[in-house]
Amino acid sequence: MTGYGTMGFAAGVLLALNGGVAMPALWGGLTSATFVSGPLQFLLVDWVKAGTAYLDVAVLVVCMNVRYSLYGLSLLDRYRVAPWPARLYMIGTITDETYALQVECPYPIGRDGTWYCLLLAIFDHAYWIVGVVAGALAGTALPFEAKGIDFAMTALFLVILTDQCRERQNRVPALIGAVSAVAACLVFGASKMFIPAMALIVATFLFTRRWLDVGSEGRADE
Amino acid sequence: MNEKNLYLLSVLVLVSTVSYLLRALPFLLFGTGKKPAPVIGYIGRVLTPAVIAMLTVYCFAGYVKSGCLGTSLHGLAEMVAAAVTVALHLWRRNPLLSIACGTAVYMLLVR
Repeated sequence: MTGYGTMGFAAGVLLALNGGVAMPALWGGLTSATFVSGPLQFLLVDWVKAGTAYLDVAVLVVCMNVRYSLYGLSLLDRYRVAPWPARLYMIGTITDETYALQVECPYPIGRDGTWYCLLLAIFDHAYWIVGVVAGALAGTALPFEAKGIDFAMTALFLVILTDQCRERQNRVPALIGAVSAVAACLVFGASKMFIPAMALIVATFLFTRRWLDVGSEGRADE
Repeated sequence: MNEKNLYLLSVLVLVSTVSYLLRALPFLLFGTGKKPAPVIGYIGRVLTPAVIAMLTVYCFAGYVKSGCLGTSLHGLAEMVAAAVTVALHLWRRNPLLSIACGTAVYMLLVR
């Protein structure tokens, strides 16, 4: 959970050094508080810099965050018993890590389970906001002109990818994602690759389901 | 409020609204007792590593686009920095350390 704090800090530093927005701490705080989600916060800065049209932004957000609606499916029963203010808040805080911790919730569905999930959501969200704002402030205060600092975004994705690939069952899906992205990039160019890449990824997953679908509890080879 | 800030604010409202609606979608679609098709659960499981891998490729595509292969290092700076980041992360599992060292190596190499 504290991993979110350090990751957020790195995100904030990057936001500040990217220079795409005038007040990175404010922007970072706002995007974090309003449930925008990590990777998107970086990409958003690039898009805003390029003045991307609203419709394109909306389509890209759907591509990037559609996985959260799939996460929600596994949490339906858990969230259904929560009082509505808690439920509305928890829906907004669904992210990769919060979801991963909540589906493994040690308490049965009910009062204790709801408290566990709610506190988890609040702490993850708070850690992230504090991390991003602190990182943005630290980044703004850095004295040197920093050529090459943009590699931090690449490094961040590499770190997340490395963590994902620690689990054997994630390796082939990651490979499919990478190959699809390279193909889409070669055909359509880097700035227009997201939508065709996502289409290719989902299509490949549908075709390879009989080999890749190992069920939620089973791992392919353990 | 000037035009740029208005644009930023509109994008922010747009992105958070779309993000929230996406997260709320299953709760709106599947009321009590209804279960979604298993294929959706499967896509949900495999999509995250794929999306992260896609974003990583996007980052490297940016370096190629900005001409890293034409420099004296021929893209070696990116490769070495990426290798350092991944190796450190496999070893120490500390995100901040991996990101900081990988970025520092890159900054030294492109100097």
